[in-house]
Amino acid sequence: MKKLKYSLLFSVLLILTLVSVACSSDTEGTANSSDTNQGDDSNNSKNVEKTEIDYWHTYGEQEEAVLFEEIKPAFEEEFPQYELKLTRQPLEGLKQQVIAAVSGGVAPDLMRMDIIWTPEFAALGALAEVSAMKGFDEVKERLYESPMKTNIYEGAYYGVPLNTNTKISVYNKEVLEAAGFSEPPKTMEELEEVAQAAVANDVKGAINVMGVGKTWDFLPYFWSLGGTLTNDDVTQFEGYLNSDESVEAIETLYGWYKDGLISETLLGGRPGTWEGIETGEYLAIDDGPWYFSILGKDQSKPDPLDYTVRGNIPEGEGGSRSVIGGENLVVFKNAENKEGAWTFAKWMTSENAQEIMARGTGLIPTNKDAAQDEQFLELPYANEYVEQLETALPRPTLPGWSEIDRIISLNVEKVFRGELDVQEALDIAAKEADEVLNEE
Amino acid sequence: MSESTIQPKKKVGFKKGLKQWKEVLPFLILGLIGTGVFVIFPLFKGIVMSFQDYSIMPGAESPWVGLENYLKAFEEEQFRYAVRNTLLNTIVTVPINWFLGLFFAVLINLNFIKFKITFRTLYYVPIITSWIVVSFLFRYLFASGDGGLVNYLLYTQLGVIDEPINWLGNQWTAMLVIWSLHIWKTVGWALVIYLAALQGIPKSLYEAAEIDGANAIQLFRHITIPMVTPISIFVIIQLVMGAFNIFPQVYFVTGGGPMHQTEVLQSMIYTQAFENFNFGYSSALGVMMGIAVFLLTWSQQKKIGKQKFY
Repeated sequence: MKKLKYSLLFSVLLILTLVSVACSSDTEGTANSSDTNQGDDSNNSKNVEKTEIDYWHTYGEQEEAVLFEEIKPAFEEEFPQYELKLTRQPLEGLKQQVIAAVSGGVAPDLMRMDIIWTPEFAALGALAEVSAMKGFDEVKERLYESPMKTNIYEGAYYGVPLNTNTKISVYNKEVLEAAGFSEPPKTMEELEEVAQAAVANDVKGAINVMGVGKTWDFLPYFWSLGGTLTNDDVTQFEGYLNSDESVEAIETLYGWYKDGLISETLLGGRPGTWEGIETGEYLAIDDGPWYFSILGKDQSKPDPLDYTVRGNIPEGEGGSRSVIGGENLVVFKNAENKEGAWTFAKWMTSENAQEIMARGTGLIPTNKDAAQDEQFLELPYANEYVEQLETALPRPTLPGWSEIDRIISLNVEKVFRGELDVQEALDIAAKEADEVLNEE
Repeated sequence: MSESTIQPKKKVGFKKGLKQWKEVLPFLILGLIGTGVFVIFPLFKGIVMSFQDYSIMPGAESPWVGLENYLKAFEEEQFRYAVRNTLLNTIVTVPINWFLGLFFAVLINLNFIKFKITFRTLYYVPIITSWIVVSFLFRYLFASGDGGLVNYLLYTQLGVIDEPINWLGNQWTAMLVIWSLHIWKTVGWALVIYLAALQGIPKSLYEAAEIDGANAIQLFRHITIPMVTPISIFVIIQLVMGAFNIFPQVYFVTGGGPMHQTEVLQSMIYTQAFENFNFGYSSALGVMMGIAVFLLTWSQQKKIGKQKFY
């Protein structure tokens, strides 16, 4: 009997610890999210006139601080009739959350979303057309054209670009020098050469294409090597995605992969790109400005600026073509405070607000004047990204892009896994992509 | 008794029943509304949606497309993988789960085993832990390269494999991970049910058999097995349904990759609805899966239900 009691006690304790572990992480989560809402409490003494603007954002921790400490006070000072309610949304499962909110009629007034989502949600009928709103032309005028274009759906605009980004090539300095190069390679031929030398030096991986799970991962190489996705009007994949040039681009990449120049990260191998470049196991990666801003602020890790050199994506048949990413500000169709939301969106694209964000976070502004801001360009890597942006290409602005993206990636992956030859894979991808395109 | 006496009795029964209903209705109504709103309505809504090109936006039009959503499924490679893997998961994990559940239950139930409750709790712990947590744990355990714990053990420490395995990057190794996660997470449930069933077998049966000179194997074969058969049917049907409902194992561990090769029906339904916005298509998949599970368990139940056990 005594033994039974002990074993009962033990099991109860075990369960308690488990539950408390689970709960403590839970409460941490909720504490975090309530943290993000702290802005609300500070306005208890508000006068009754104020209307609320409900803003969902996806900024990281460092960036959020700028939003709270600088953006919110500055906006509310200029527009005292509004109160900005900031809610930070996690990136994980965000799309599902937005869908649920939209269909349930509880969407916020406006939101910062990935540029490739904008046409998708516009097609769904969830977004308000901003090109019909007051002062749109003025806003459009002061922003860069290619990020602006990511907001087009059926000839109208459904958002404004908030910040933009792209990827550049990053090399481990020591590995590059050991391979006999003092400068980052300028062309694809040079890249191949330095990769071969690095592989001869026994690095674990030379070129690191991040993967084949999303086109974002391999598009810079595909485009720079001469590949194309669609015609200029983005109405057809057939004949472009499976053109001779596109086939050749993927064939070159596949050739590099077979020769061991592209590392196993392509199919999910380890270590990851960031770890590999830090330890000198890899020669080259390509990534966005967050690579430098996140690791630069992380005290436990060496600053990547110290052990890397940076260059444009090497030039090939197609030039030096990186891929444009970034976020748009969209106003929801059923927003309670549409006017306030649009006022805030306009204000966020102004030179002043864009400069605050750029200086504080290193995110590349979409406002032409703010992009020339000296204090922003003083960031050691800012210039390189701004330069790469001049030749970078956007992914097709299509409502069905998420699905098409998966179709293309899947078929490219089949090439790298040796299941299909390149022509075959791209033929299938072009056909299926056109089917999705024509469904809409 | 003549008919006349039965007649009023029936009437009283009906009236009494009505009265009883009136009395319990306030207690039932919440549950009935809940079931209506959260189970019955979605069920029928899903069936309706499966014949539409459904738009999630409130007030938007959803044109009827007939059987298009259903036919589309049969053209897709992803669907073939999903069906194959869902069935495979059932075929592989149900027998193992059933066997291990019974095996450990008998083991724990042995007279000389101490700390029975501790063992029972330990086996039950995987069931109450969060899917997300254990899915990520498995992902880290089976990480590729020599950084993953399993690779570290097999390659770096023991050297039984020539190079680190990219567990989640290849079809069959990824399936192995998914199956082991599923088994690890469910076996405790079968065990607890069996343990309860074993403890319900009258001791006198064993004692009588022992006096008759039966050995341990005979006891197991002729007393334990027949006595737990009704429970076995329940356990197997539940395991089959659980295996059909496989979702987090796949969604959080491999996401259906590589190349949809580990996709299962549930993960495909989820992706089609919430990633590609194809709600109609996704509902059609859901309806087909519902019918399949219903037919399977119903036929099993009917078949097994006719058997006599004792």
